[in-house]
Amino acid sequence: MKKALLILLLVFLAVGMLFVGCKPKEEAAEAAPAEEVQDTLVYATTDKISDMDPANAYDFHTWELFRNINVGLLRYKPGTTELIPGLASEYSANDAGDEFTFKLREGLKFSDGTPFNAEAVKWSIERVMNIAGDPSWLVTDFVDSVEAVDEYTVRFNLQGPVGFFPALVATVPYFPVNPEIFPADRWINDPSELEGGQISGMGPYKVVSFKRDEEVILEANTEFYGNAPAINRIVIRYYADATTMRLALENNEVDLVYKDLNPSDKVDLIANDAYNNYEIASSYIRYLCFETSESYFKDKRLRQAVAAMIDRQPLIDKVFLGQMEPLYSMVPKGMSWHTDDFKTELGDGNIELAESLLEEAGYSADNPFEFELWYTPSHYGDTEVDMAEVLREQMEKSDLLDVTVKSAEWSTYIDNWDTKTMPSFLLGWYPDYMDPDNYTAAFAGTSGSAGMGIYFSDPDWDALFKKEQTSVDQNVRAEVFKEIQMAWTDEVPTAPIFQGKLYIFTQPNVKGVVVGTDMVLHYDTLYFE
Amino acid sequence: MESTAKYSLAGIIGKPFRLYAKAHKKYGAEWILLTIGAVIILAIVYMAIFPGSLAPFDPLDQEAGPQLSPPSAEHPLGTDNLQRDILSRVIHGSRTILGVAFFSALLSTIVGIPIGLISGYVGGVLDRVLSLIMDSIYSFPGLILAIAFAAMLGPGIINITLAVAVIYIPTYYRLVRGQTLSIKEEVYVEAARAIGAKRLTIMLRYIFPNIIATVVVIFSLNIADAIMTEAALSYIGLGLPASIPDWGMDLSMGKKFLPSGVWWMITFPGFMIMILALGFTLVGEGLSEILNPRLLEK
Amino acid sequence: MKRLLRYAVIRILLTIPMLFILLSLVFFVLRVMPGDPVKAMLGAHAPPEVIEQKRQELGLDKPMGVQYVEYIGQLARFDLGDSMIYKQRVIQPIREKLPATLELAVVGMLFTLLFGIPLGAFSASKRRSARDLGIRLYGNVVYCIPVYWMGLMLQLIFGIWLGWLPVAGRTGGRVFPSLFERTGFYVIDTIITGNYAALGNVLTHLLLPSITLGIVLSGVFVRLTRANMLDILKSDYIIAGRARGLPERKLVYSHALKNALIPILTMMGLQFALLLANAVLTETTFSWPGMARLLLERIYLRDYPTVQGVIVIFALTVSLISLMVDLIYALIDPRVKY
Repeated sequence: MKKALLILLLVFLAVGMLFVGCKPKEEAAEAAPAEEVQDTLVYATTDKISDMDPANAYDFHTWELFRNINVGLLRYKPGTTELIPGLASEYSANDAGDEFTFKLREGLKFSDGTPFNAEAVKWSIERVMNIAGDPSWLVTDFVDSVEAVDEYTVRFNLQGPVGFFPALVATVPYFPVNPEIFPADRWINDPSELEGGQISGMGPYKVVSFKRDEEVILEANTEFYGNAPAINRIVIRYYADATTMRLALENNEVDLVYKDLNPSDKVDLIANDAYNNYEIASSYIRYLCFETSESYFKDKRLRQAVAAMIDRQPLIDKVFLGQMEPLYSMVPKGMSWHTDDFKTELGDGNIELAESLLEEAGYSADNPFEFELWYTPSHYGDTEVDMAEVLREQMEKSDLLDVTVKSAEWSTYIDNWDTKTMPSFLLGWYPDYMDPDNYTAAFAGTSGSAGMGIYFSDPDWDALFKKEQTSVDQNVRAEVFKEIQMAWTDEVPTAPIFQGKLYIFTQPNVKGVVVGTDMVLHYDTLYFE
Repeated sequence: MESTAKYSLAGIIGKPFRLYAKAHKKYGAEWILLTIGAVIILAIVYMAIFPGSLAPFDPLDQEAGPQLSPPSAEHPLGTDNLQRDILSRVIHGSRTILGVAFFSALLSTIVGIPIGLISGYVGGVLDRVLSLIMDSIYSFPGLILAIAFAAMLGPGIINITLAVAVIYIPTYYRLVRGQTLSIKEEVYVEAARAIGAKRLTIMLRYIFPNIIATVVVIFSLNIADAIMTEAALSYIGLGLPASIPDWGMDLSMGKKFLPSGVWWMITFPGFMIMILALGFTLVGEGLSEILNPRLLEK
Repeated sequence: MKRLLRYAVIRILLTIPMLFILLSLVFFVLRVMPGDPVKAMLGAHAPPEVIEQKRQELGLDKPMGVQYVEYIGQLARFDLGDSMIYKQRVIQPIREKLPATLELAVVGMLFTLLFGIPLGAFSASKRRSARDLGIRLYGNVVYCIPVYWMGLMLQLIFGIWLGWLPVAGRTGGRVFPSLFERTGFYVIDTIITGNYAALGNVLTHLLLPSITLGIVLSGVFVRLTRANMLDILKSDYIIAGRARGLPERKLVYSHALKNALIPILTMMGLQFALLLANAVLTETTFSWPGMARLLLERIYLRDYPTVQGVIVIFALTVSLISLMVDLIYALIDPRVKY
């Protein structure tokens, strides 16, 4: 009996080894049934898709997908922040700046053949306003009504003049969707909920297969008005963790990896010449928020003190192995009118300044200022845990500070904004549209601030925001933002920490990676060498 | 079977030592396992009570050494990505895990034993209902329930202790109830009832002392299991906030550095979890063999 | 046969209260948890009216007791409901992921038996010898090894250092399951569709996670086999056999082991619960897209119906397996009374 079992074990191992031996041939064998390897690009990411609907999708990856399967009236030239014609060939504004008229390209169709016209645009915008999903404020805060002036002309009547409206139009909620298949009154999660079960858009690619959290398969859209992409088929593979994804790249199981690898993986891959890497100066920022209305942080001296204690470069070195950029203003580098005011006014690890402020507020080594620092352990990746620890160490370099670190999962975290449970908490931000307004008003304007658990409210600031939002004059806007950024170092509703750098890694034969500060990867520029 | 009604305190305490000496002669193999286990436990308990005397660095010190350096003379277990000394973290971490495991096991006994006693002795509807509830919890994968409770309670030492304690209550309940059911039919218990002894008295003086031995064995094994559960919860990320050194959490933070060749961040915490659980398991198993070889076969 | 049927029915009926209790426990635990699924879904910017509307839509504005009764009623109709976070029936992700977990559990159990039984038998054949002690120590040690640690170590050695085996997922990056998926059990699917290269890929991906599970749980079976064997080896017919001069090896491995296997069968049923618990940790470590990971994800998202559904399915599976095993046991062993 023992012998039999032993033999069985050996047989099993032998069989296993046999198949192990088959591994290198695996890729060729798998690609063979469908097409040549060169025609399909496997794109790996740890991000997730939220809702396949511009009316509610509000996350980075889903927006990226939409920018490739659909187009806005205007779009960014890949790799730049320059707006160029998209579905609209031209546009004009009235003098007051509160009416924008767009002339659409004629004869365009959705990928399933449905004709595209001004009615579709009007229908889509009204749908977004109606459904009032997460990103709908990008429309409802600015747009009053939409008219289809004729078959190919659309006019937006705004609530007031908006200087950066063209940038807004390029955001995903403004993308026209196919009225024949999308429901008018609710948003959808999966393409299977649509009429016909397939999603159709007007971008360079279309979705042919959708398996949430596993794979999404795209193929070139023959109805696209522009040039056909070089790669016919893109398979997006969703990975549950970064380590596996890195190993997949190293085993040549995937062609391109974007968002997001661990810092140590990035360091290794950058050092490895076998892979192409692209560093993207992104406009993704991380910062510390304060609850400014009821917690002990309503005293701005304490906010200044804590902000002054942050020592950015050592934090970046420890937690991110040096891969991020210290940030000294809520407006990131690369965005217009960025300054480094926090550096000049508060500094890094500025114990003297912090302690003098704390002493002024009545604290001492015997009576230190005790506060809670909150983080969320997985929404931003597990580097948060380390980041909170490092910040705590940095703060406690002063005897006048005593930090308790706490954490909450994301759903509890956003609940806590309402209940004002978190006196200070870490947060991150990807831009909705490429304008400094998106990085400032959202945190310090009265309504935006309350929505983020910060509850900062200052009528002067609100007036300034109104001014820059309604002005078309760049000089006026520049002045406002200079003033706001400087005022930020005094009131400190939030303290910026770093600005992210993103990396894309590819196999050596993948070329054509063009990504600008908007961090959007355009699949249609990619090609195999 | 020991069925005398009187137990002196000294007798109860001295018993284990006498048994230990006897066992050496009779149960050679089990005695070895028991001793190994006891040594491990004592060593780690010492580590947990006096970490400062053993740890070369402060476990939270983010400037203890270079970043991600392999084991060396200065840092025998290496350093992690926040430049902390791993040996110190491992030593201090013993306190966390031992504390949670011990107190959750204690909590389980405090809740489970009385309920089991009462349920077994009183019987009736109460017994039926409690049995059903306890059996349901018992037969379900404990870790999954612990996850649900830990997620509900949120991070924090007390919360984790509670979450782990809940899933072991049925173990004690079933054990004590079973023993109570069999003991209560014994003649001497009937005699006590006949002379009018109150229920509480019977439970405390007659039944309870007879189950102590079994409870001790289960307690030891329970701690071993609780250690594994606590570590698993931290590993998944439901455990404690970052500032408290914890083996499970260090393991999960270390795994992302594996492909970069950093093996020391996960090897040592994992090894410690295993060793500590092993210590309690060996003690429990050894004791059970010595006290009652048929006990754990059920 | 009729008696067996009656036994089965009684057992099934007994399962229902258990499910009921578990479910109730989970139901209330979920709703007491902090963290609002509606806000998580709609985002922080959503106006209060929209949040209220969504809450009504999902039935969350009703008192908990009412929600509970409605849910029980729904379950009685075998309807697990709809997910709260995604527009899908609860059964949908479960149907997709349950085969993954089962496939892992079955192969894991195979390895457990492969490692545990021979070692247990070996140990019993020479009681109190050095190897007996060694194997018993092994049994205790492996049970104490955190399954995720073992997984990570194996990944490190075989995946990273040696590069022999893949460390995560059910298939490699370039193997698209949509090409061959039929039942969800990839081993079966690849065989049915004749895609043998994919089969190899699937098997190599199965190896590490199931061996991990197998090793960690083998300890229990070592002890069990050993204990049963020891019992049997003391029994009369073995002594008689010895007296008749049958070779020791034949006695131990043919006679004793075969009879020891029956209780092991029952143990398999009981250990299934343990297997599922360890599956959570294994699936996390190996990025295995199974039920356990689904559970964790949905707890995180506060998707109550899906979490409840997964628990129900877990409980059902455990009960079913233990019922099946008990029935087989009852059938095989004439001594069992039912």
